[in-house]
Amino acid sequence: MSGEKSAKELLQEREKRVNDAIQLKVPDRVPIIPSFAYFPAKYASVTCEDAFFNLPKWHEACKKVAIDFEPDLYHFAMTQPGPVQIALGNKQLALPGHGVSPMHSHQFVEGEYMKADEWDAYLHNPTDYAIRTYLPRVYDKLKAFSSLPPLVRLFWGYGEVTTTELFTRPEFKEALNALELAGKEMEKWREEKSRFDQEMESLGFRAVSKGSTSPPFDLISDMFRGMRGSMLDMYRNPDKLLEACEWLTPRMIERGIKSAKASGNPRVFIALHRGAEGFMSLKQFETFYWPSLKKVIIALVDAGLTPAPFFEGDYTSRLEYLLELPRGKVVGHFDTTDIFRAKQVLGNHMCIRGNFPVSLLQTGTPDEIKEYTRKLIDVVGKDGGYIMATRGSLDEANPALVKVWVDFTKEYGVYR
Amino acid sequence: MKNEKSPAELLQEREKRVMDAVALKIPDRVPIIPAFAFFPAKYTGVTCEDAFFNPPKWKEACKKVLIDYEPDLWQFASVLPGPVMQILGCKQVLLPGHGTSPYHTHQFVEGEYMTAGEWEAFKRDPGDLAIRTYVPRVFEKLQILQELPPLDDLVTGGGVAGVLDYFTRPEFIEAFDVIIQAGEAMAKWRVEMGTFGKDFAELGFAAYSGAATQAPFDLITDFMRGMRGSMLDLYRHPDELLEACEIFTPLLIERTIAMAKVSGNPRVFIPLHRGAEGFMSLKQFEKFYWPTLKKVLLALIDAGLTPAPFFEGGYTTRLEYLLDLPKGKIIGHFDTTDIFKAKQIIGNHICIRGDMPPSLLQTGTPEQIKDYTKKLIDVVGKDGGYIMSTRGSLDEAEPELVRIWVDFTKEYGIYR
Repeated sequence: MSGEKSAKELLQEREKRVNDAIQLKVPDRVPIIPSFAYFPAKYASVTCEDAFFNLPKWHEACKKVAIDFEPDLYHFAMTQPGPVQIALGNKQLALPGHGVSPMHSHQFVEGEYMKADEWDAYLHNPTDYAIRTYLPRVYDKLKAFSSLPPLVRLFWGYGEVTTTELFTRPEFKEALNALELAGKEMEKWREEKSRFDQEMESLGFRAVSKGSTSPPFDLISDMFRGMRGSMLDMYRNPDKLLEACEWLTPRMIERGIKSAKASGNPRVFIALHRGAEGFMSLKQFETFYWPSLKKVIIALVDAGLTPAPFFEGDYTSRLEYLLELPRGKVVGHFDTTDIFRAKQVLGNHMCIRGNFPVSLLQTGTPDEIKEYTRKLIDVVGKDGGYIMATRGSLDEANPALVKVWVDFTKEYGVYR
Repeated sequence: MKNEKSPAELLQEREKRVMDAVALKIPDRVPIIPAFAFFPAKYTGVTCEDAFFNPPKWKEACKKVLIDYEPDLWQFASVLPGPVMQILGCKQVLLPGHGTSPYHTHQFVEGEYMTAGEWEAFKRDPGDLAIRTYVPRVFEKLQILQELPPLDDLVTGGGVAGVLDYFTRPEFIEAFDVIIQAGEAMAKWRVEMGTFGKDFAELGFAAYSGAATQAPFDLITDFMRGMRGSMLDLYRHPDELLEACEIFTPLLIERTIAMAKVSGNPRVFIPLHRGAEGFMSLKQFEKFYWPTLKKVLLALIDAGLTPAPFFEGGYTTRLEYLLDLPKGKIIGHFDTTDIFKAKQIIGNHICIRGDMPPSLLQTGTPEQIKDYTKKLIDVVGKDGGYIMSTRGSLDEAEPELVRIWVDFTKEYGIYR
């Protein structure tokens, strides 16, 4: 089939298929968007380290996956420019080959990067907090900035020029050099990213999303207070937490809009972390997590974009909240949520993506795979509004089984 | 007498004389500390420009003044590091030979360096306003910083990635070079200025002060809002004004104590600007000026230092406030305040320094000078607690008349 159509036609066909599902229409067949993530490493015998440190090589591997599996949109690992992280000495990330095995995924390094008694500085003196406290704590090469005087002293005009002397210290020069080096690496990274997008487009493939943003609560929990810190905050600093979520909401909206508009891809990836069932109670979800996330999602929809939240973990008890979002404008990618219940609750309201177990694609049999694929298509795919996908990342999946799954979805998933 | 004593002994004798007066005791004679300021220029035929750009030459001129007039402590112009100001393109000050005549003092360039509309941004994120708005406005060579994106993005999701591009842009690399060059010039300046104290001490003369600070309100009116701006703020933005005074107070205290400790000199020079009678009402003084100034003075005293505020302008109606301070711990240098009234009100409470009019030393007769000197010593010097000095700077005084004044003070000022 693909031999007859031009790449451009295929691209349009795939986009339409996905968009029909998002708009809760019945497409020609169930679209499939596997979360390939680091799968290209195993499949094309490159390393996960390459995804961070040898982008052209990594892109070749990704291209091979796209050509061989022909997903409706491609979804690979969201990687960071490795040389930038190394140049700055980022302590929040352990990268493949630099802290974790070159053959496995990167790891986030949990920590209380912001202390409980720093809430006021964060909220009411954010630039000073960023430059003198947070960046030096997270980036080893920027630790010199912690010796800067409070930035509000810059308002003392020429009375404060003595501060320039700090910049003659070796550690300050090193920090500025690190930033310059990181900037150059970032530029290279972006160029290669955009070259890859164009090449993929010419082959008929488009990314599931280019833009992204975060739930305000997760930004705080991930990057600042850590899991433990933010959990304690729900009891000890609830007002600060809420103030932060409110303060961050317009910024998260702007991030999503800006990053998506810059790319031309309307879908905005939103990875949800701490709103799941194991992390907070329903009441806490309602108080701390959902209100600001909801505002972000609605604002993105209002901006003509398609929010694509990934509900990592279990959201079975939280599905009803999603009915508060505009109909047919959001793709909900589900992980361990009961997807059949999701269909009952949300089926007429929001496009569902998911939730093929990754374990089955690693250790299952072809029959097991076909059976579950069929069930998903029959039940969740009924009357459209469904996108076939895995729960989480396919990093370690067996390529032959992935092939069975993808091919069977394309065959059995045709709407007649 | 002086031939018999070593410079070290003389230095101790002079220090003791002054500190006895500060402690409201009766010294051997009335100490004299003329505010020589730029007087060495006229006296030795160097320029005021040299004070800012040629420290070794300026030091020699000052040394000659010290040797010839033998003050109890030395106080020359508080000069700014000329090369640093040039490198940064500081627009807040005109230096001799660079905007004003090489033979006259520097001039501050009044201005609304922060607008009234920016109080809101100051409250929300002062570091961001300082770096992106204020600094580019004050320092011509750092104008490029105004092109930076909002810096709170560093801690609202963008991270350091959002600013990396700027560190590779030639204009920014140039601006960072400017800061480093300024820092190098600052370091050189600091070393050179350090030799003033050392060289003069070897001659038997200690410095009047080793650190300087300001009233919190003055920082705002001098460097941020300008005279006009801050006067309007008294009516239109009183809360912001008070909040900024409170923000600056601990920072000033901390910086000043550190400076004083480094210098080893306990006296802290504090030029007061806008708290005087012509600038604000007594009620405004009480509300906006005095509370935070008082906090600074008390904190310095608690740190074992001797604040030496210069009450420029008239403070006759404000003398009672000084009774709030601990007894015998500060030097109040008065300008046009009624010094005889000051003696009545605070004579038993703080050491008074003043107030020979420079005009008399420029155009007066020896008799007029002796008469006024006698009156000051008789009335204000009664029972100690007094330091003979000029009101303001001696820049243009007649060297012969200065000599008469100094000699007569030393002769007539002996306590018997």
